[in-house]
Amino acid sequence: MADISEEYREIIWEELLKVGRPDSRFHWDFSSFIADFEGSDQCVSRIVNLDSFTSRGAGRIFITPDNCLFSLRAYLLENDIPFVMTTYGIVRGFYEIDPRKVPASDRRFAATLDGFDMYATPVNIEQLAAGEKFAVAVTGGSAVSRNGVRFGKGHGYFDFEYALLTELDLISPDTVVVDVVHDCQYVDKELPAKEHDVVVDWVITPTRSISIENVDRSQTRIFWDRIPGTEFEGLGVTKELAKFLDSTKNSGLRSNKQKQQSRGKI
Amino acid sequence: MTGRFSNPQAVPSDSAPLYEQVRHQIQMLVLGRPLSDMTPLPPESQLIESLGVSRGTLRRAIEDLVREGLLRTVQGSGTFVNPDERVRRVVWNRLREVARPDSRFDMNLQKFVPDFADRHLADATVQSLDAWINADVVFIAPDNSTEALRLHALADGKAVLVPTYGLTRGFVLLKGNLIKAVDRGLAATLDGMERFGKRLGPADLAEAGHVDVIVTGATAVTMNGQHIGGGQRYLALEINLMRDLDVVNDLVPVIAVVHDCQVIAETVQAKPECAVEIIVTPTRIIRCGTKTNIRKLTVKSNG
Repeated sequence: MADISEEYREIIWEELLKVGRPDSRFHWDFSSFIADFEGSDQCVSRIVNLDSFTSRGAGRIFITPDNCLFSLRAYLLENDIPFVMTTYGIVRGFYEIDPRKVPASDRRFAATLDGFDMYATPVNIEQLAAGEKFAVAVTGGSAVSRNGVRFGKGHGYFDFEYALLTELDLISPDTVVVDVVHDCQYVDKELPAKEHDVVVDWVITPTRSISIENVDRSQTRIFWDRIPGTEFEGLGVTKELAKFLDSTKNSGLRSNKQKQQSRGKI
Repeated sequence: MTGRFSNPQAVPSDSAPLYEQVRHQIQMLVLGRPLSDMTPLPPESQLIESLGVSRGTLRRAIEDLVREGLLRTVQGSGTFVNPDERVRRVVWNRLREVARPDSRFDMNLQKFVPDFADRHLADATVQSLDAWINADVVFIAPDNSTEALRLHALADGKAVLVPTYGLTRGFVLLKGNLIKAVDRGLAATLDGMERFGKRLGPADLAEAGHVDVIVTGATAVTMNGQHIGGGQRYLALEINLMRDLDVVNDLVPVIAVVHDCQVIAETVQAKPECAVEIIVTPTRIIRCGTKTNIRKLTVKSNG
């Protein structure tokens, strides 16, 4: 039987051709990027007015390099709100950007993938782990269901990124995960979550803010045994993470809770 | 997918199949020769002996290099090097030291023309050229190395004609005098330009008016003005389209902005995409001798 997520991707990509925007490099190849769409700018106020966003305190914001999040990145930069983002395909790992270092004239430029790393600085795993926990993680996707199961472009980048942050103890029970999609990408059905799926708390569309109840991400982790042979195997962050977790385990730096979790889940 | 295929010159691991190791050895042999050397590969029997492999393994390795475009076999006369592809691979190797990764393709240089260290020095030189100063309409290729020049052109109030990457959505016409200062940086990127420019297909390309100068990056450029692109021949196609629609005439100057390591001093029997009149690098300016004549020198692309 065909993978259920594949089935939905196909139907929704068809719809997305009508309201989506092509990528500067990949044109309409939705398997290579998460598309921007008509009305994505209307999602911004919905996100920044969420209680978990306004009350985030020192908690950091993680954003994926998806095209539909351009307007959100532009808003954050224009309002001096720093955030952390990965490069496309996580190939060059994580970067953080401090808007105060970006001239006012270049903030919208820095909100694009083409402009981002002109001003953002790379953060390695050790530096990432030393910082504040993440209060908010925002991603796009190909489709998302009523119970918060999201499908990306089919590579599993966001699930990997979120699992990585979890392994680094940078995710708390209060961390809120937001998925930004067009209305046509919302599937009003309960769909089964796979073990590695990061279920989201909020689905934000240009017209609706949908809160997902009873979300459980307590079992999130990196599935090391599934990495060989995938594109994650060759990533710098994968090797760095393995090394970092090894060294902290040995030096006892990680919290007991975390150690228990790692041990209990093989 | 990026990774192992992003660099055709990556050294295969010890566990790689034998034909991949042999493919690598032959490639090194070919890239190690002078760029002007057009002698064919040694005969099969000689390679079998010198490499110590079977005929099947050797053929598999050569087939791969033929498929990649580095070699071509001519029935009855031997296996030859494709000079354009050899230049590309030699230059990609050098470029890795100075290139900036692409926002999507990272360092997969087969997919894009990269920005490079000290590029702003070349930009300053371009901006001092009469061909640039006097131009009202400039064609600027969608290369990462020309992004900042698109910004400068917009700031100067010029109209900028930019093809979309791979020409998938035709051309985009940006009018500098209509774009706000705060939006220029964004409008100069491939990611942002379609928010501000008008998309022009072949049917309405004439709206761009008359292009006064062509500014482009390159994979490599020879001292005598041969433009060698990434292999898909987009620039040749774009110029031919513009010429057919009278958007450029045959004498429009072509300026190539490249890093010094992309300039080839040797004579290469290449199939250039167009003739370059002026080469600008961070350290120098090279006037290639003859005036550009697109009609004479642009090789018609297929299709």
